[in-house]
Amino acid sequence: MIRAAKTLFAYRELMGVLAWKNITLRYKQAYMGIAWAVIKPLTLMLIFTLVKSFVGIDSGAIPYPLLTFVALIPWIFFQEATSEGVGSVVGNANLIRKIYFPREIFPLTTVVTKLVELGINMIILAGLMVYYGFMPAATILWVPLLILYVVLASLSIALMGAALNVYYRDITSALPMLLSLMMYASPVIYPLMLVKEKLLVNQAAGVWSDFLYTLYILNPMAGIIDAFQQTILRGAPPELSTLLPGMILVAALLPISYMIFKRAEVYFADVV
Amino acid sequence: MAIIEVNHITKEYRLGQLQSLRHSLQRAAARLRGQPLLERPLFKALDDVDFKVEAGEVLGIIGHNGAGKSTLLKMLAQISVPTRGSVKIHGKVAPLIEVGAGLIGDLTGRENVFLNGAILGIPKAEIRRKFDEIVAFAEMEEFIDTPIKRYSSGMSVRLGFAIATSVASDILIVDEVLAVGDLAFQRKCFDRMEDLIKRQGKTVLLVSHNIRQVERLCSRVILLNKGRIISNGPASAVCTQFYEASDARISTSKSTDLELANSNEWATGEILLRGIEILDTNSNVINKLRHEQTVRIQLRYEVTKKIHTPIFGIGVHTTDFIYLATEHSINQLTLDYLDPGQHVLTFDIPSFPFMPGVYSLRAGVAEGNAARTIFYAENLLHLQVVSDNAEDRTWNEGLVALSGSWSYDTPLLHLTGKTHANS
Repeated sequence: MIRAAKTLFAYRELMGVLAWKNITLRYKQAYMGIAWAVIKPLTLMLIFTLVKSFVGIDSGAIPYPLLTFVALIPWIFFQEATSEGVGSVVGNANLIRKIYFPREIFPLTTVVTKLVELGINMIILAGLMVYYGFMPAATILWVPLLILYVVLASLSIALMGAALNVYYRDITSALPMLLSLMMYASPVIYPLMLVKEKLLVNQAAGVWSDFLYTLYILNPMAGIIDAFQQTILRGAPPELSTLLPGMILVAALLPISYMIFKRAEVYFADVV
Repeated sequence: MAIIEVNHITKEYRLGQLQSLRHSLQRAAARLRGQPLLERPLFKALDDVDFKVEAGEVLGIIGHNGAGKSTLLKMLAQISVPTRGSVKIHGKVAPLIEVGAGLIGDLTGRENVFLNGAILGIPKAEIRRKFDEIVAFAEMEEFIDTPIKRYSSGMSVRLGFAIATSVASDILIVDEVLAVGDLAFQRKCFDRMEDLIKRQGKTVLLVSHNIRQVERLCSRVILLNKGRIISNGPASAVCTQFYEASDARISTSKSTDLELANSNEWATGEILLRGIEILDTNSNVINKLRHEQTVRIQLRYEVTKKIHTPIFGIGVHTTDFIYLATEHSINQLTLDYLDPGQHVLTFDIPSFPFMPGVYSLRAGVAEGNAARTIFYAENLLHLQVVSDNAEDRTWNEGLVALSGSWSYDTPLLHLTGKTHANS
C-alpha cells in the first residue's frame, strides 16, 4: 500500500491533467455545460418529493426535499463514480495499448473527478438550506471525512470492477441494474430512521429483525447517507454503530479490490 | 553496462476469441468435476528472444509482418509482460509507438500538448518551457487553439510526433513513426531522429519496414522471423540478408505459370498471352539470374483473329511498378500480319543490366500503324536477380549498373602548386 501511495505521488501531475481532461470533455460541447451536474439531483429530488406526497414518508422535523437532497449528494457521487470508474480502463484502451503508467490511475482519477460535481451540489445544498432557513451546526465539519469515506467505498468497487470489466464486459451491463437496486436498499428516498423503527423497535421481521438490520447497514451507503443527514441537518455527530459494519466491509474489500486490480493489470494490454 | 537486457523472453497468446463469463464458469465447473479441459492453442509471438543493448546504441528491428517486432517493443515499453523471461531496463523509456495515440479530438491543440505531455511523463514545467518549440516543429502556430478533431490526419500526427520527441529520456522506442506526414515532414522527422541519435547520443530501438532507413540510422540490426531472432549483427549484413529473404519470398509467391488474376491484364481477345519464360543460354527455364547475365525472354501468344502489322513491346518494372525499361519491336521486327494460331516471340538481352533485387515483366501488343493496343499486361513474371557475393548489395546501391570504368591519373603540372603549399 505504501508503494502504491508512492507511485501515485509520482504520477500526481498526470492524474491532475487527466482529471481536468475528464471534466473539460464532459461539458465541452454541452450547451448547458456544468449545469447538468445540478439538474440530475434536483430532478430526482423533485420526483421523490412528488412520490412522497402520495405515499407519505415521515421525514420528521426536516423538510423532505432537503432530507432527500442531502441523501442524493453522496448517493449520486457513489453511483456515478463506481459506474464510470468500472468503465475507465476499457474506455482508455487506446492509451493502455500504447503507453505504460500505473493503470489504477484511470479508476482513481475518474472517481476523484466526480468530487467536482459533488462540490457543486454542496453549493446548491447551501442555497436550499438558506431557502428553508436551516442553519448548519458545527457538526458539518464531519463532512470532509465522510466524503473521504465515500471515495474509498466507491474505489473498493471501481478498482475490482474495472479489472473484471476488461475480461468480462458483462460487468458493464450488470452494474447499472445492481446500482439502481442498491439505491432502494439505501436510505435515499426514505430516512434510515424508518428502517430502524420497523426492524429494531417493532421487530417487523420477527427473530430475523436484528439480523436484517445489520445486513442493511452493512451497505456502506446506508451509514454514509445517514451520517450526511445527521451532521448537516440534525446537528448531531455521525452514529458510529450505524457506520461501523459498512466501514469494516470497505476496509476488507478495498485491499482485496486493489490486489485484484494489480494482478489483472499486467494483462490489460493483451486482453483489452 | 547494458542499458537494456532482454533475457530469453517468450510471449504466448491464446488463439481465438476471448471467452465470455459463461465459458469461464463452465470451464471452472468442468475443472471441479475433474473433466478434461479444452485448451485453446497457444501462439508464440516471441520465442526465446535474447539480446542486450548498450547505451548509445541504435538498434533496428526488422522482419516480415507478424514476426513479433511490435510485441517485442511492447515488452520493452512495459506495456505488456513476457510469459517467460525478463526484461531489464536501466533508464527512462519514451515510447513512440503510434504517435498521437492519446490525442483527444474534443480538446484543442494546446490542451492536447499538455495532456499528451503528461501521459508521456513530461513534467508540466518542462512542457511549458518547450511549448513554443513543439508548436513550431509541428508547424501548428495557426491552429493550436482549434480542436484536434478539425485537424487533418497529417496535422495531428505531426503534433503527436513533436510532443513525443520532446520527452527527455534515455531510451527511445520508435515504431514506424517515420512514415508520417507528407514528404517534407518525413524529412524533418528523419532529421530530428538523426539529431537525437547522433548528437544527443540516445539509445534508440527502431522498428521499420523501410529497410533503407534502418540501414542508414542503425548501428546494429536484429532480424526477427516468427518470433525468433534469425540474425543479430551489423546493419548492412543483416539488411542484405533480409533483402535476399524477401526477394526469395516475392519470387516464389509467383511461379513461372501465368497467373493472370493479378497481372493487370487488358485484352481485346484478338491475341492472348499463353506463356512467358526466361531462358538462359542453354535454353533452361530460370527465374533467378545473375547481374549482367545473358538471357532470353520467350513469350507464347495465341492469335484468334488475323492481326495486321503487329508491334510487340516488353518491359521491366519493379515490384512497386516503377517502369525501368521498355523495348519495342517497331524497327526490328516487321510483320505484315499474324495468322490465327500459336506464335512464339523471343527477346534477347545480352547483359541483364539491373542490380540484385526482384523485378517483374510487362508485355503488350499493338496493331497497325495507328498502334491500337490489343493486349497489355504487367506484373507477368517475377524474376530475381542475385549476386554472387553478399557485399554487392551494400556496395552497389541502386537499380541499374552504369557499367562505367574508373581511371586514375595525376596531372602533375596542375597539382605541383598545391603539393608545394602543403609541404
